[in-house]
Amino acid sequence: MRLIPLAALLAVLSTPLAAETLVADPAAPVTHEGNLRVMTKFGSERLRPYFETLAAAYMAAHPGVTIELIQEDDDSVKAKTKTLLASNAMPDVFFSWTGTWGGNLVRGQRAVDLTEVLDSDWGKTLAPSAVDAFAYGGKKYGVPLYLDAKFMGYSKPIFAEAGIEVPETFEDLLAACDRLKAKGITPIAVGNKSPWVGLHYVGQMLAHDVPRAVLEADFDPATATYTDPGYVTTLNRLSELAARCTVGPEMNGIAYQSALQMLSDGKAAMYYQEIIEFDNSASASTVLKPEEFGHFILPAPKEAKGDPMALEGAPEGYMISTASENVPLALDFLKFATTPENGKLLSAPPYGQPSAVVGGADPATMNPSVVGGLQDIAEASYLIQWLDTVNHPKVATAWLNGSQALLGGTMTAEEVMEGVRAAAEDAK
Amino acid sequence: MSFWPAMARAFLWALLLSLGVLVIYPLLWMALNGFRSNSQIFDTPFGLPDSWALTHYAAAWEATRGFLAASLLVTLVSTVTTVAISAWTAYGLTRTPMPGQPLFVAFILGGMMLSPTVALVPLVRMLQGLGIYDTQGALILLYTAFRVPFTTFLIRAYMLDLPRDLDEAATMDGASPGTIFRRIILPLCSPILISCIVLHILFAWNEYLFAMIFTNSPGVQTLPVGLSSMLSKQGTNFATLFAAMTISALPIVILFFLTQRYFIRGLTEGIGK
Amino acid sequence: MTDIHQDPGAATRQEPGATSRRVIQEFWRLRWVAVAVALVGSFVYWPIIDNFRVSLTHQDIFTGETSPAGLENYLRLTEDPVIGLALWNNLAYAVISVLFQVFGAFLLAAIIEGLGSPRARAFWRAVYFIPSAISTTVTGLLFYFIYQPDMGLLDGILKGLGLGYWSRVWLGNPDTAIYAIIAMSQWQGFGYAALLFSVAIQKIPAELYDAARMDGAGALRQIWSITLPMTREMTGMMVIITVTGAFQVFNEVMVMTGGGPNNASQVLGTWLYEQGFNQNDMGYAAAIGSLIFAVTMACGLAQLWLNARRRVT
Repeated sequence: MRLIPLAALLAVLSTPLAAETLVADPAAPVTHEGNLRVMTKFGSERLRPYFETLAAAYMAAHPGVTIELIQEDDDSVKAKTKTLLASNAMPDVFFSWTGTWGGNLVRGQRAVDLTEVLDSDWGKTLAPSAVDAFAYGGKKYGVPLYLDAKFMGYSKPIFAEAGIEVPETFEDLLAACDRLKAKGITPIAVGNKSPWVGLHYVGQMLAHDVPRAVLEADFDPATATYTDPGYVTTLNRLSELAARCTVGPEMNGIAYQSALQMLSDGKAAMYYQEIIEFDNSASASTVLKPEEFGHFILPAPKEAKGDPMALEGAPEGYMISTASENVPLALDFLKFATTPENGKLLSAPPYGQPSAVVGGADPATMNPSVVGGLQDIAEASYLIQWLDTVNHPKVATAWLNGSQALLGGTMTAEEVMEGVRAAAEDAK
Repeated sequence: MSFWPAMARAFLWALLLSLGVLVIYPLLWMALNGFRSNSQIFDTPFGLPDSWALTHYAAAWEATRGFLAASLLVTLVSTVTTVAISAWTAYGLTRTPMPGQPLFVAFILGGMMLSPTVALVPLVRMLQGLGIYDTQGALILLYTAFRVPFTTFLIRAYMLDLPRDLDEAATMDGASPGTIFRRIILPLCSPILISCIVLHILFAWNEYLFAMIFTNSPGVQTLPVGLSSMLSKQGTNFATLFAAMTISALPIVILFFLTQRYFIRGLTEGIGK
Repeated sequence: MTDIHQDPGAATRQEPGATSRRVIQEFWRLRWVAVAVALVGSFVYWPIIDNFRVSLTHQDIFTGETSPAGLENYLRLTEDPVIGLALWNNLAYAVISVLFQVFGAFLLAAIIEGLGSPRARAFWRAVYFIPSAISTTVTGLLFYFIYQPDMGLLDGILKGLGLGYWSRVWLGNPDTAIYAIIAMSQWQGFGYAALLFSVAIQKIPAELYDAARMDGAGALRQIWSITLPMTREMTGMMVIITVTGAFQVFNEVMVMTGGGPNNASQVLGTWLYEQGFNQNDMGYAAAIGSLIFAVTMACGLAQLWLNARRRVT
């Protein structure tokens, strides 16, 4: 009996990756026949129906095709992907983040090169910055489906009561916090039990303090130095923000869901969140109503050495497996998923995921804050991606742990940067 | 002179009572929170619910139904397989002539000392290779394999103490070992079998490590895994989460209360050898 | 009877074909343990062996490649600062658990078994056992909420008692995180341990206690001279089980802190998970597994040795 697992193991490890398509050919004909496996990240209750609707429509239009959906959610998609990778059973179409995650898939030759296809007419229907985010080594590998960016959500009633205007600079924000605190209101609700929360602040603030070219050089372990003084500036600004605007070190014991609850219960004035969370903070069923909810980009300091118009965010999208037996069909399905109609469907409630398709958002059906957020994304100079996905895992871990320690008051800015530098060395 | 014994007695009762409160109160808090609303839970830790509406419990039931079914399946099947295989093995090790018996005893009981955490990394590859990753069958297989040593240990200890004359009499009557096992020994072992069944249910219902790693899909996940992912899925619906926690804890607690006497009896007659 | 000196082969000579029949018969006798051996062998023993093999490789899940790494992963064990931290946390877990779940539970069991009415004994045993019946996920989540600042039960109680200055972010503070988790573990485990001790105490013949009472021995003296020595075997077993369990702990830490903040509450089990499943470094995770194996094996052998010694004496 011991021989069977051994044999299976050997078989898995020694099977060469058979019959791969590495580059997609835009001129390849599509035969609407066969089975398509699609792995999504829309497994949660609210988002589930989207792909189900899409698949049903596609199958109705093309009776020879069956689509099998593997719907995971934010937590389980990573583990599922790794399982499928290890057993060489990747679905034809699969979800991917940008940054290192996508990069690993490309490096492992799991994703089809879509450059030629995306350079054609169809590619132009997608937001250029979103398509660029899935580029590796000058080639494009992913199809963005929707955009995500980070904004400060706030309660309009509380602002009005405290006589506060939307802050235009970082210093204005700190002053607003002081006024709110004086009135006994928690300025910014934050729960950093999962350290990516604090790290998202760091990411946005780094874009303001460090020039883009330096950041991009540092994201690559081969060229990383992490010596720009802007890094320490950001961390010190964060410490100040934490002291004047939040509960301070306590935040490390609070989950982000609790913090979100504080905003929607009217117990805090602001909460830093992703645009895809807008519908969670203020909806028909929360104390804070959608018309009472507002958003603004985390403002840059008056003297911003980096880019004050940069916005933290990233698209999320889908790649095609090199092991797929029907790449043209998979491509066709993705084209179907990114038509303006389906884009509008995705942007509107109940999904509220702003589509990456140009013209894929209908203000009439969407949450006004989401419309505004999309506008902000379009006007941003560039999108800086989440620090924990764009970096090598070791560096990401150093950032996560370091920022959590900084916010907990157990590490200084210089110490955090030392940790990041060491991790970058290690990752070379 | 009867002051000090009385004082001691009062002190002991106070101790038992305060420990009891320490044990029960958090659980009561958990169950009660299932009746309060989210804002209420946020406002103050104490306080009785405004209304005793079962809304959150109903929502929790909806959310955990799938997990409950999965847990039920995995627990019941693995309990049957584990106890059956262990009884089978224990009988073979104690009541039949077996070549190399001490070797097998050492091998099987030695399995108790081996940690599931250490086996994790290779098991992932092994199960993926066998194609049963992310299935309930995989969990059943693993639970059985990892609990057979301990269960066999318990049953064997019990069987060692059973008198041999019944076996001998039956053999002289021409009964095969299989018949002796089924008709005579197994019924005699019912106390320890019940203890083993309860212990295994306790284990399988609550097992987290393997369930978390070897099941991903919502349809396959068992209760413990489902609960921890609820923390992120339900987001801020704490009341529903508390209700779900209560729902998942209740069956086992009830089971224990019902089988308490037999459970302890089995252990009393079996352990301590 | 044939004289064996004249015909040495007489005692063992058999008909041809009987040997193979005997072999088959011996194998048939193994049918009782066949399934167990197969299961335990493939899923319990084999992975332990395979774990060593994996720990000597580098595995890249994205490219699907495996390359030999020699002892690099083990070298990394000695250089990794978190390993020291995790070992310390596991050790703290072990020591505190032994304190509460061996000695504390023993005392509690002695008290319960000393009660007058059997119904009271059964009642208390059952009550204290309840937390053990509940899954660690539930208790982990429950205590996560209990430890929350503001909305948590602990904070509420402390403030209510006027001890507000004792309140802190139990799980968010690197100094207190692991101890908060250990405390929860004791809450959950002591009832189960007490039950086992109760079982052991019940086996002590009542006559011993009667005789002692007639000699004028008080309750404490009885516990010291009778209960304690007579439960030595159970005590020894509980120490080993508790210590071994402490080095394998995973659920509680994973659910309550995930190993944070900043790795302050990492234990070997959660660090193995982090390395293997988040950092995708299966080789290093396997090396951590080997470390856990070494520790638990040492404990297991210690138990065997102690048992052997006891049997001799």
